[in-house]
Amino acid sequence: MENGIRIHLSFRKRLGGFVLDVDCELVKKVSAFLGASGSGKSTLLNCISGTVSPDAGEIVFGGEMLYSSATGINLPPEKRRFGYVFQEGYLFPHLTVAQNIRYGQPKSRDSTTVIDILEISELLQRYPKQLSGGQRQRVAIARALAMEPRMLLMDEPLASLDNTLKARIIPYLHHVKDAFDIPILYVTHAFSEVLALADEAFLLSDGKITATGEPHHLLTAPSAMPIAQLTGVENILSLPVMLSDKARGVTSLEIGSQQLVIPYTDAEIGGLLPVAIRAEDIIISLAPDLPISARNMLHGTIQALDVVGERTVLSILVEGHLLSVKITHEARQQLQLQEGSAVYCVIKANAINLLRT
Amino acid sequence: MRITPAEVAALSLSIKVALLSLVIMFPPGLLAGWLLAKRTFPGKAFLNTLVMWPLVLPPIVSGYLLLILFGKHGFIGRFIHQTFGIEIVFSQLAVVIAVSIISFPLLVRGIVTGMEAVPPELENAARTLGASPLKVFWTITLPLAYRGIIGGTILGFSKSLGEFGATIMVAGNIPGKTQTMALAIFSAVHLGEDVSVYRLVFISTIVAFVALWLTERFTLR
Repeated sequence: MENGIRIHLSFRKRLGGFVLDVDCELVKKVSAFLGASGSGKSTLLNCISGTVSPDAGEIVFGGEMLYSSATGINLPPEKRRFGYVFQEGYLFPHLTVAQNIRYGQPKSRDSTTVIDILEISELLQRYPKQLSGGQRQRVAIARALAMEPRMLLMDEPLASLDNTLKARIIPYLHHVKDAFDIPILYVTHAFSEVLALADEAFLLSDGKITATGEPHHLLTAPSAMPIAQLTGVENILSLPVMLSDKARGVTSLEIGSQQLVIPYTDAEIGGLLPVAIRAEDIIISLAPDLPISARNMLHGTIQALDVVGERTVLSILVEGHLLSVKITHEARQQLQLQEGSAVYCVIKANAINLLRT
Repeated sequence: MRITPAEVAALSLSIKVALLSLVIMFPPGLLAGWLLAKRTFPGKAFLNTLVMWPLVLPPIVSGYLLLILFGKHGFIGRFIHQTFGIEIVFSQLAVVIAVSIISFPLLVRGIVTGMEAVPPELENAARTLGASPLKVFWTITLPLAYRGIIGGTILGFSKSLGEFGATIMVAGNIPGKTQTMALAIFSAVHLGEDVSVYRLVFISTIVAFVALWLTERFTLR
């Protein structure tokens, strides 16, 4: 989806020893910036919202110059009209939900659409401290939308929520994306959120953009791997669907001549499905036919062993794909693992996360 | 054992002066508090020192400096005398000035504490929602800082009620005119009027207690 508004970001901001230096153009409806903590994501949004001034460069929205060091233009945040959803919500504690939503709302407008989309009509008379984490974030999104913004900035809106809540909020974000015809800039450290929401993605690493593209392509790019590892998902594979059996509740993906079984998902046979597996969720076995419940036993060869703190990280080549596996030093010694050892990667179907758009 | 007219005059002068000084000093107190809590600017340390100065100066010294400044030949006193024909020293106005200068640091301290506790992120959030800095001040900073503001107000008010050193220097101790509660107690002790001392001390104690208790009631979560 194109957004029809050209957003040009080209600026530099130094904060102590850290430098954020970006130069990019946002053209899609939902643009995501993906980066580990400390990569400059919040600084980026603060500069765009106007709450922090860059040191040099320019920020252009549509034809309008919001910031330009050359001409001395620096529009204050209240004139930019960008809705900003913060990671912590930052609802005003002395105001009710209804008053929070009305705070930035133009006079004589009503907020029923926003309230309906985010399903918060039950919460209007409550104070922020009477809300759960998920409710708080929905109200924060509603408040940012009620001001009728020209763009929506979202700073890790799901980061403070647990996984179950995250899964519940994502559909609301989809509703927002469909119902409001404004560009959305979404910042996160979670690959899965980028894949779930974004039309284009930028990898942000140590203040610089290191890769750009469609989320799908980005995650298979070699430059994405370090980010994926930093963000806590070490193994991301894009594999073709072999079969999908609703009755048995499983979907099988093809990994070379072997199979990777995941919980059933409605997927097209032959289509590529991106999946993520955490390095801690893979068990190493020396024998293939163990009497255990895990569905997957992938045969591979150890390419490298690296000591990372309390763990040994194995790089295992499985049918041309490199899998990262974290085990204890003790396990490594007992199994006498070394470079070239043939091993089996045991993976529960439920430990494989589907990354869907 | 009835309270004498002179004692009533002292009590009412103290309360009147404390209230008036509060009304006069509250707006500059808010401004100074906001500047010190929320802004960075060159000379901030200097402003803070200036505001807090009377807190560390002996009141008698502050009073003496005011006496020099507001006396008929003083820098401000001469100007006021020439322009309005008013003499400030040894008038009720002098009591108000003395009490205001001495209580100002406590008022500002409370306001600063209250405003520093308001997360700047909330103020930034309000800005992104279209609020001007002035609107942010009225709708976010001020309401969220109210505990500190009330605390500073009550502390400043109580300090005003009991101010002694600066008042006696710049306003004298004229019964019925510039004699406040504290000065009346001082005189009564001097003259050996024990019963009067007891009454005045009792009233002062009660007033201070009620002021503190009201603060706690309004600011307790």
